[in-house]
This record gives sequence, structure tokens and C-alpha cells, in this order.
Amino acid sequence: MAPEAIPAHSARPSAPDLVEDRRRAALEVYESEDVPTWRRSGFWTTSLRGLDLDVLEPKRYEPGLPQLDLGDDEHSALIVQRGASVVHTDLNDDQIVVMPLEQAVEEHADLVAEHFGRRLPHDESKFAAGTAAFWTGGVFIHVPKNARVEKPIQVVWLIDEPNTAQWAHTLVVVGEHAEVRIREFFLGGDFEGQALHSGAFELYADTGAQVDLAHYQDWGSADVYDLSTRRVEVGRDARVKWVPIHLGGHLTKQTLDIITAEPGSDMRHTGMYFTERDEHLDLFTTDKHEAGHTTGDTVWKGALTGESRASYEGLIHIVPKAPEVDTYLQTHQMLLSPKAKGDAIPSLIVEVDNVKASHGGTVGELDPEQIFYMMTRGISRAEAVRVLVEGYFEEVVMRLDDPGLEQLVRRRISEKLARAEDQVREFIGERAEAS
Amino acid sequence: MTLEVQNLHVRTEEREILHGVDLVVKKGETHALMGPNGSGKSTLANTLMGNPNYEVTEGRILLNGDDLTEADPDERARAGLFMAFQYPATIPGVSVANFMRMAMNAGREEPIKVKEFGALLKKNMELLKIDRAFTSRYLNEGFSGGEKKRAEILQLAMLQPEFAVLDETDSGLDIDALRIVSEGVNAMRGDDRGFLIITHYTRILNYVKPDFVHILINGKIVREGGSELADELEDKGYEFVREEVGASGA
Repeated sequence: MAPEAIPAHSARPSAPDLVEDRRRAALEVYESEDVPTWRRSGFWTTSLRGLDLDVLEPKRYEPGLPQLDLGDDEHSALIVQRGASVVHTDLNDDQIVVMPLEQAVEEHADLVAEHFGRRLPHDESKFAAGTAAFWTGGVFIHVPKNARVEKPIQVVWLIDEPNTAQWAHTLVVVGEHAEVRIREFFLGGDFEGQALHSGAFELYADTGAQVDLAHYQDWGSADVYDLSTRRVEVGRDARVKWVPIHLGGHLTKQTLDIITAEPGSDMRHTGMYFTERDEHLDLFTTDKHEAGHTTGDTVWKGALTGESRASYEGLIHIVPKAPEVDTYLQTHQMLLSPKAKGDAIPSLIVEVDNVKASHGGTVGELDPEQIFYMMTRGISRAEAVRVLVEGYFEEVVMRLDDPGLEQLVRRRISEKLARAEDQVREFIGERAEAS
Repeated sequence: MTLEVQNLHVRTEEREILHGVDLVVKKGETHALMGPNGSGKSTLANTLMGNPNYEVTEGRILLNGDDLTEADPDERARAGLFMAFQYPATIPGVSVANFMRMAMNAGREEPIKVKEFGALLKKNMELLKIDRAFTSRYLNEGFSGGEKKRAEILQLAMLQPEFAVLDETDSGLDIDALRIVSEGVNAMRGDDRGFLIITHYTRILNYVKPDFVHILINGKIVREGGSELADELEDKGYEFVREEVGASGA
């Protein structure tokens, strides 16, 4: 490999120093801040009372590929971090770089120094600081200028033992006019006990890049706490399609931001969540327009069963000096159990004239008329509910544009519905009688 | 083989709408149930299918002698009853073709073969002059009134029920669409099937000649006769029946 070009007037500290300095500064913040509780008007509180930080530890593992269901077997690269260790890296495309972030700090120092943490301040919150201080392994992806990567790059974060602390950082740099699909998975085994995934994800799409990004979270039935911040920056005339899928986690508190940073940048952000049992999901997304002539489209859909709690807040933020923005945000939420509770709140901050920005939101239940209609065709109530909920999510699922992954998501939705069949039937029955 | 309604009383949360309706439809027969707005026509149709918004307080619904009064809608469908809705629900995310296959398989032990299904769908779409692209659209999403009605009749043709209730299928159709839909219905008439055509207007009855006509006013059947009754109604209007019934003290 040719030595990397070093800019003549670079006064920047080297990547290893930068990372170490950041760790030290972040540790101070982490240690000085209390464990947060998030409250919003009304009934909503996200509390980490149930999380015992003292028993958690970054568990190390020997290399080896665990058994995984990723929908597709085909990939241009696969990198797997189990607990605190990267246990598997497989690269089939020599255009791209996919390696542990620890390794990239040494081997791709300039790229790391230029981008690492640029959109993820280490002092944003206690857990952002914790991640900046304690991350191990990590994932680095570089798709160079003009590269066109056919098969998806798959990243897996796996927690399969209780008391695991996984401090995670993924850095993705997509060069000018490069085209790539990236799928990041968050998977848990069905163990007893608790674990923490505190994650940082940052993606920079340079001029004209085309990125198809999906996040697939299914932590399983263990008490996994997921406290993560993900930010995507879309450069000039670049386009990012981002599909986050939330299919499970004991408590999830995430901030997902997509920033159209330069003229001509475009984002499509389509997400879904399906909560069950006593899961607690708290999502805050921002569609932030920092430049004029940028476009956005955000759609989020959720469904709730059991005694789960789900809150989705979606913000469109258009800063001053960003005219001619055209963006839209809509959010829908469907309650499938009398004991589930949730809300879906779209909001808007527009600091400039001459933009097109609108939002809409609904919180509702299955329509008994739709169920009646389907039943008059001989379809059972349970089947009608399944079809209606799958149909509701289909708009999101099909945006994955990835048959294997789509099938995986559909199967998981259908399994969740089967588990909730009794409560859904009871709920619909009650509604029909009350109407 | 009959669809039989005996002394049917039906109420919604607010009030009683049907006050004792009797009706017998035998296989091979086509009945028209006519009545002005608010007479209870759609209530009868919905009650026949088991819509949970309507409560039967008295009387029975029998299909081939089996009491279906308390049966769930899907059981009634599997027993051979079908309704073409006046206002069918939208089913987002489910294409016309997929919905149709699901409905057909609901009544079968073995799922229908893909080839057989495709051929049947093609034949029936030709019968109803429906464009091929139609089947990949989500059921009733963004459909015009006429498209919704055709989708209903397409389901009727695919499902081949023993008894079909057509709830105001003619309303909102232009003359060409009405003729096509009526031809579709006529093609399905035969000894092995009974029809109950519910309508406000006599228009559809010019194309689908009924064997019997019943007039429903204020939740009771007040006049019954052959197809000549529809002609009389066409000439004189519902006011005439109302006056006549009023005069006889009903």
C-alpha cells in the first residue's frame, strides 16, 4: 500500500493523539455528569433507574464468526463486533476499506483525523461522553471517490451475554460520487439479564455520493439498554436514503439526525418501530437543513403491543440562510393493545422565509371497518390484523430495496403479531363494542 | 337451498332500525330490495354479513338451514355468503391480486395453484373490462367510485358465493360502467346462486331483471311482488307506496 499523502501545512494533531485527547476529555464529562432522566410534558419519562452500570463490563472475545441472520448472505464486506471485540472481518471488494476503527486510527490517520467526531461532540451527554471515552474495536468504512459498490457492506453489533457493556463507534466516509449500500445490525441473544449498547454512528457523504443506509435493531428479549446517537451529513448534490428499523430493545433512547449540509443535498428518511412486552422506545429525529436548495422527506411508522411505551418526536429544522428548502415529515403510530401507550409528535423550526416545509402526524388504532371488510371475504380476524399491520408497514419495508432484508423484517413483524394475537383480538373486540 | 331472514330486528347504539324483516331467497332466484334513503337497506345488508356495529335483538338469519345470526363475518363468508359493499374499505399495502388470492385461499383446504388463479383472474377481468395494471394497485386506495364497485364485482366473480348481496352497487356508476357490472352479474346468475340486489333506484333492474321485488320503508317490508313492482315504482315513486301503506294502516 502506498504511503498516504501528508498535507504540507497540516497542523492537525495525529489521529492517535486526537483520539486519546478526546478519550481523556470525554472521561471527565462522563464522570462529572449524573445518569440522566429524560422528561417531557405529559406522561413521558425515560429513566435508566433499572440499569445497573456497576455490573457492566466490556466483554472480550476471540475471533470467530457467530451465527447471524442478516436476511442476505451476499456482502461486499462484513464486520462483526461481539461485546467489546471485533471478532470477524471479511472484505470482498478491494475498492473499499472496512476495518476496526482502532486499526483505522493508525492506518487511515488522515481520514480519521478529518472526520472522527466531527458531528458527534464528546460532551453532548453523559453517554455520548462514555462512548467517546470507552469505545473499543469500532468500525471504519471508507468508500473512495467514484467507487461503485455493488453488494451491501454489513456491520453487526452483537450482544449475547448478560452484563455486557458495548461502547460502539462507527465512522463512515463516502467519497465524491461514490455509491454504496450499508446495513448496520444491532442483534442480541435471548439471554437473561441486562446489557448496555451505547453507540455513536457518523456518516459523511461527500459531493454527489449516493448512500443507501439501513439500521436494523433487534436486541431480543434480554434487558438491553440502547443509548445511541446517529448522525448523517449529506454533502453537495449527494443523496442519502436512510431506513432505520426498530424491532426490539428493552429500553431505547436514540437521537437520529440527518443533515443536508450543502446545496443540492437530498435525504429520504423512512423508519419504523414495533414495540412489545414492556419495551420502552424514545426516539428523537431531526431533519436539519443547513443549506438552501436542499430536499427532505421523512416518514416514520410505529406499532405498539403489550404494555410497551413508544415516543417518536420528529423535528424539521431549517436554519437561517437556507432558503428554497423543500421538506416534509410525517409520523404515524398504531396502538394494538389497551395497555400500550405512545405518542408521535412532529415539529418544525423554520428560521428563514421562502421554504416549503410541512408535517403531519396520526396516532390511531386499527380500523374495525377494514377488519370487518376483510372478514366478509372469509379471512380470519387474526389474519386480517396481520395483513393490515403488515400493509401499514409496507411503505417503510419496501424502501429497504433489499429482498432478503425485507423478508427478514416482514417475518419479524408477523412473529410479533402472532405473539400479540390475543391482546389485539381483545382490544379490537372492546373497540367494536364501544363504537 | 335458501338464505332466510326471519322476523329480524336490528339496532345500532342509538335506535332500532329494522322492525321485523322476513325474506327468503332461494338459489337460482334474484331478488331486489328497494327503498328510499334511511329505510334500513344497508343495515340489512351489513347485518346479514355480521357487521359488529349492528345488534340483532330478535329474529334469525339462516343459510341452508344453519343459524348464522351470531356467526362471525368470516364464518358467514366461508358458509357461502358474500356482500358487495356500497363503500368498501381501503386496504393499504395489499394489492388487488394478493387480496383476492388471500380471500380465495381462506375458503380452501389447499391453496389455489398460481396458474389456475392467474387464468381465473384474467378471465374475470376481461368479463368486467378491467385493465391488467389494476391488480397490482393497493385495494381501493385512490380508486374512483366506479373502480371500487368493479373491484367488488371482481371479487364476487372470483369467489363464486352461493348467495350474494349487492349493496347499492349501482350508485355512482355511469351508464357504461353500470352495463358492464350488470353483464358481470348476469353472467353469474344460475341455478346454483341467489342474489339480493339492494338499490334505491330502478336503473340497475333494467339490466338485471329480478324475479322478486321487495320494498323496505322505515325498517319493514311493505310491498312485495314480481319485477312489475319495480316498474310501478319507477312510474310513481316511493311517495306512492308510502301513501298506499299509510292508507292501509300499516
